[in-house]
Amino acid sequence: MKFVKGNIRDLIAFLRLVPQRRKRIKAASASPTPSGPVNRLAHQLHPTSMNLVIREMLDETPTTRTFRLVADPESETNDLALFRAGQYLSVKCRIGDVLVSRPYSLSSSPLDALKRGFYEITMRKKEGGFFTDHVWNSWKTGTRIETSGPAGYFYIDPVRDSKDIVALAGGCGITPFRSMLRDITQNGIKIRFTLLYGIPKPDEIIFEEELAEMEQSAGGRIRVHYICSEPDQQWTGPTGFLSANTISRLAGEIVNKTFFICGPQEMYRYLESELASLSIPRRRLRWEACGEAADVTAYEGFPQEMANRSFDVTVQMGGAVHRLKAQSTESLMVSLERAGLAPPSQCRSGDCGICRSRLSSGEVFVIPDSDGRRAADRIYGYIHLCSTYPLSDVELIVPRSD
Amino acid sequence: MKEIVSDSTIQKSYEAVVVGAGCGGLAAAAQLAAKGVQVLLLEQHNLPGGFGSSFVRGRFEFETALHMLVDYGPSYRMGSVRKFFENDIALDIELVEVPDAYRIIIADDGIDAVIPLGVEQFISAIEDAVPGSRPSMTSYIELCKEVMDALEYIGESKGRPDQKVLRAKYPRFLKTTAYSVEEVTRKFNIPDKALKLLYSYWMVVGPPPSRLNFTTFAAFMFRYMTHGSFIPRMRSHEMMTALDERIRELGGDIEYNSRVEKILVQNGEVIGIETAKGDRIETKHVICNASPTITYNNLVYPKEEVPQRAYQTINAREHGLTMFVVYLGLDASAEELGLDTYGYMITPFLEPDRLYENFYRLGSPTVQATVCMNAALPECSPPGTSIVFLASLMRPEAWASVRPGNYFALKNKMAKAMIEQFENKTGIKLSDHIEEIEIATPQTFARYTGTHNGVIYGYEPESWDWTMPRLASIQNEYYIRGLHFSGGFSFLCAGYSNSLLSGKMAANFTIKEMEKER
Repeated sequence: MKFVKGNIRDLIAFLRLVPQRRKRIKAASASPTPSGPVNRLAHQLHPTSMNLVIREMLDETPTTRTFRLVADPESETNDLALFRAGQYLSVKCRIGDVLVSRPYSLSSSPLDALKRGFYEITMRKKEGGFFTDHVWNSWKTGTRIETSGPAGYFYIDPVRDSKDIVALAGGCGITPFRSMLRDITQNGIKIRFTLLYGIPKPDEIIFEEELAEMEQSAGGRIRVHYICSEPDQQWTGPTGFLSANTISRLAGEIVNKTFFICGPQEMYRYLESELASLSIPRRRLRWEACGEAADVTAYEGFPQEMANRSFDVTVQMGGAVHRLKAQSTESLMVSLERAGLAPPSQCRSGDCGICRSRLSSGEVFVIPDSDGRRAADRIYGYIHLCSTYPLSDVELIVPRSD
Repeated sequence: MKEIVSDSTIQKSYEAVVVGAGCGGLAAAAQLAAKGVQVLLLEQHNLPGGFGSSFVRGRFEFETALHMLVDYGPSYRMGSVRKFFENDIALDIELVEVPDAYRIIIADDGIDAVIPLGVEQFISAIEDAVPGSRPSMTSYIELCKEVMDALEYIGESKGRPDQKVLRAKYPRFLKTTAYSVEEVTRKFNIPDKALKLLYSYWMVVGPPPSRLNFTTFAAFMFRYMTHGSFIPRMRSHEMMTALDERIRELGGDIEYNSRVEKILVQNGEVIGIETAKGDRIETKHVICNASPTITYNNLVYPKEEVPQRAYQTINAREHGLTMFVVYLGLDASAEELGLDTYGYMITPFLEPDRLYENFYRLGSPTVQATVCMNAALPECSPPGTSIVFLASLMRPEAWASVRPGNYFALKNKMAKAMIEQFENKTGIKLSDHIEEIEIATPQTFARYTGTHNGVIYGYEPESWDWTMPRLASIQNEYYIRGLHFSGGFSFLCAGYSNSLLSGKMAANFTIKEMEKER
């Protein structure tokens, strides 16, 4: 090939590139570019924060309460973001001088948000719980709260998961499953769903009536079993914990089922060995993030001699440098929050990486089960504050919160 | 509860501020810091990297997109990115070369071929698949080499090539650079089937051969064939974190979760920036890694400082493609599954214009690129597992009618169709082994980077808007003094290597300006 369209024509074409560019620019619109449909949808699906109002409160049991939340247009939240049944909201609160957040599974369904305009979250009051004490004391109908957008990976994925689901719930861990069951019922989703719901005492069952209704209307596709560990004399159902035996007896064949597990940390520790004996492939086990460790000293690898030590933490955050005290048995996240700093936080289980921070110096313990860090971050000295505990004085660089 | 030791780690003024820690922004900040400029890098997200990042699901860490550095090269044939890393900023990182072949399956034509790297190997592989194609392919690749050589000469001349040398040594560079791939390639009478194999590269660059600038295509293809491609060992996040580390070592400051809301302009000159957190920082020099589209529409403040010409410039250009990606963490090894190749390109047909038309449609993507990470990085996932991702290009317009209510179902349907297409065409079964799945849509890219309409391919490099006319128009299109651009929407067009190199380039523009001011 010597030329494309002719020796001279090719050179002229080359010389005309810039003039042609100028001509095109001159002919184009001089108005701002309209924003695209993709950004709009992205924003609807994933708002960085939402302002909500408590519309109603309902006591489910003596210790659990459901809060119905609606959008707060006065604070610029007009719509509720859609979510997938099983996801959570990170609820942000100022308690005294301290800004904290806690993740709570949405117990309502996606359709409730989309068509009826509400979310529900259901909380259990912890004895002496810093956060729930505040909620029980100060949240009322009309209270305004701030949350993250819906987040989390604990949902049924039709491409990945079986059409035969077994849900293992413990106590307040029922909440994401109530969302899934409402979703299945409201949309007539064609899957089988067996719920094994472990409760300590018979009066601690949450959503009992509604679960019964959903079971009855599903023509056998939804089954609900309660397993009580401290039954009274009227209790006629299965008793004890969610043992391998109980699971196989109530859920039937294990093969080709996907198990979803949500409950307190003690239940996770118990279930790990029980489920191992059932030889369920790892891809068939979906564990909800378990929240912050209740007792870090219980984890293998935590140096026991370091329990209850106090260390100095130097934090560079938002342009300022702060110095504070931290306990070895409290996550750095909690220590920073106690000191009145508000680091970014969402899952509080080591998973989401929102609190990714740089450890400039010092020794720490990272809970192995909750170490959701990227490979390079481990090497370059980054930590997730919510799953990391100081074992010496430490220096941190923490990004500002959103 | 706490004492404040100091409240001044971010200063009130900087010699230069870089907006956005994507590839280009990181490279720009590193280059500025290496040259002793006092620089602040601001990023809205809590991570560096922009599109070049990673995310963790369960026991898998996924690369965010099909990232390969084609301008890195082996140590004995250093590409521009390697030179930048080693010579300019002394970045301590070791990249891994991607195995040198990909497999292309064009169902309607019965083509199932493995395309190797290396000029000779490439021509021979095509000759094997399409006997008789050798002569035309050989002279075509010679032309591509001449183009590449010319570009290298222009690079060495620091953008001031001697026209006489260009005409004498690389005459066909000038003669072809105003044309589309199709206009030039047509002259070679390459057999139809061989042309399809050759054209399998266009999607990496953007628009179909009927609109894609020939030089851009030829340079990409030739560089890829001769330099291979490289990736970071621990996904892109490793390289981005290394750059972050290096910038700090060189004395630069970085703040995450700090979205720049305003680039303050007065009388046509940059005077500072303002973040959504309320920081106000004085500077005369901003390198913006957001696109000109985002910058002129949303960032420059006050709006009256945006000249009409700036709007016209962005509106004249064609915003490029976005992507739909399905990430799979599989509970079987690549060997067990039979995944023996790094890259697979699978399509029912390979007529570029028709394929591009299909990018406007939702539903089952027609053409897909599938990558098995373990073929390049056996250790990228735990023993007995593997990572595969399936990607398809899309036009953002395809998503105009999607609402939150049908978004999740649509994602799942498209992902399923892609997995099925891969399984049907390769006979490799993935669906029984999915331990983790994540799906990225254009909305995902828009969410994390704020890019206009989820676009990741920058402005489309048609002939009037490829690198050369862009560079030749620098003075003409320099609308706000002190404001330069880096990233996939800047001068060098999109791509992993180009985005990094654009940062160096923007930093050098800025440094030159600073020198003039002194």
